[in-house]
Amino acid sequence: MSFVAGIGRFCIFLAAFFRATIRRPPHPGMVLAEAYRIGVKSLPVLVIIAAFVGTNLALQGYNAFAPLGGQRLVGMFVSTAGIREMAPVIAAAMIAAKAGTEMASHIAVMRIREQIDALEVMAVDPMWYLILPRLLGIVLVLPALTIIAIFTTLCSAYLVTVWQLGLNGAVFLEFARQGIQGVDFIYCMTKGLVFGIIIALVSCFFGFEAGRGPEGVGRATNGAVVTVSVAVVFLNYFLSELFYG
Amino acid sequence: MTATLELLGRIGLFGARVVWATVTLQVPLQTFLDQLRTVILRCMLPVIAVVFPFGMVMSLQGLEIFALYGSQRLLSPFVAAAIIRELSPVMASTLVAAQGGASFAAELGAMRIKEELDATDVMGVDSLAFHAAPRVLALTVACPVLNLMGCISGIVGGYFTAVIMEGEAHGVFMSEMWGLTGPADVWGTVIKTTVFGAIIGLISCYLGFNTRGGAAGVGRAVNDTVVYSILVFIAANYLLTSAFFGGAMP
Repeated sequence: MSFVAGIGRFCIFLAAFFRATIRRPPHPGMVLAEAYRIGVKSLPVLVIIAAFVGTNLALQGYNAFAPLGGQRLVGMFVSTAGIREMAPVIAAAMIAAKAGTEMASHIAVMRIREQIDALEVMAVDPMWYLILPRLLGIVLVLPALTIIAIFTTLCSAYLVTVWQLGLNGAVFLEFARQGIQGVDFIYCMTKGLVFGIIIALVSCFFGFEAGRGPEGVGRATNGAVVTVSVAVVFLNYFLSELFYG
Repeated sequence: MTATLELLGRIGLFGARVVWATVTLQVPLQTFLDQLRTVILRCMLPVIAVVFPFGMVMSLQGLEIFALYGSQRLLSPFVAAAIIRELSPVMASTLVAAQGGASFAAELGAMRIKEELDATDVMGVDSLAFHAAPRVLALTVACPVLNLMGCISGIVGGYFTAVIMEGEAHGVFMSEMWGLTGPADVWGTVIKTTVFGAIIGLISCYLGFNTRGGAAGVGRAVNDTVVYSILVFIAANYLLTSAFFGGAMP
């Protein structure tokens, strides 16, 4: 029941957001500052996670194909699975965990300290001032971060394949190339774009709705990251069905 | 770098105190059971809601590739192996970190800010053994249980796409399913997620237990919990996968 109520409140929040921002262009400096903060601060975490995803894709691909005598397919497996599914989802999940929780807790703290009310009193629209730059910033950087995640995944998978599993690197690269089509990059950047919109709007929504006191901040941050992860994985299925189904 | 090392050392000390409190039976059993139930109930829906669509996606992509070679019967062992060995442990633990770990960090952080933990200490009860240790243990036990739920829902998701939506044969899917996976894989997934659960529990409870700086500090603790615990367990995942399913080390 509270879930349905939450969806209703989210729709009202969206309507208010569009009404507040549709006529007012964003402040470019703030958008760039947010893009810098989200992109550069999340980059180290994202690169580490993407590297370990690549290592495990290579190990599991080897493990699945070696009994059938198809070790050479590891490259194709890594590139297909990595580019189509893992990299966009992992990038979105990590940005949700790093930047999304930061948005939620920042806005929640402003809410419980009544700074958001103070903004309204000063005739600054909090939707325009707090949410729009974050939304545009994440939309700018997430497709690029997805591409970086793909690159890191492939690099670490290559290293594991050559050094740990002892397969031929050139064969890996050739089969990896066969698993990639140019249009895949457009698809996965589109996925990144959609996920970015979801992350920014849902995290800011949870921050805006934060309850009283320190528990309110904790609960808002927690709710934001869980809701975003579930929404991203569900949307990923529908986008995959649309692109590849 | 030194700050990271110091943090790791402090988490290690915290873990040692949790283990000591557990061996000397200072951890109240009832609190542990309550927290266990809470964390399983809280995480169950998110875990199922994430691993289920992942199974569907695996099935969708797998069908496309296997259809090229006309070998659709390889689909179900492929889906089962991928879900049990890798996807469900990682996705379920991510959700346990995001939901269970983060909520424990928020609870303990709020208790620290409101000085409830200090009040417990003043009453002569060790707040670490009474509040933090049961939560660490609850996450350690809950993570494998939730992972098994994730495995089942992922395979059901794969079945849903392959059989109900794409019209593959039900009998083929069911009979071929265990072609690649054996008991060793199930043990592997259970051991992996127990380790991940312990990592998530230690990091989340340490950060919540040592929250500073008011309401903003609670937000920061929750944020750091999610990021750090995912980072550490993904790194551990690589080592554990190498150990269990290794392949030839040079």
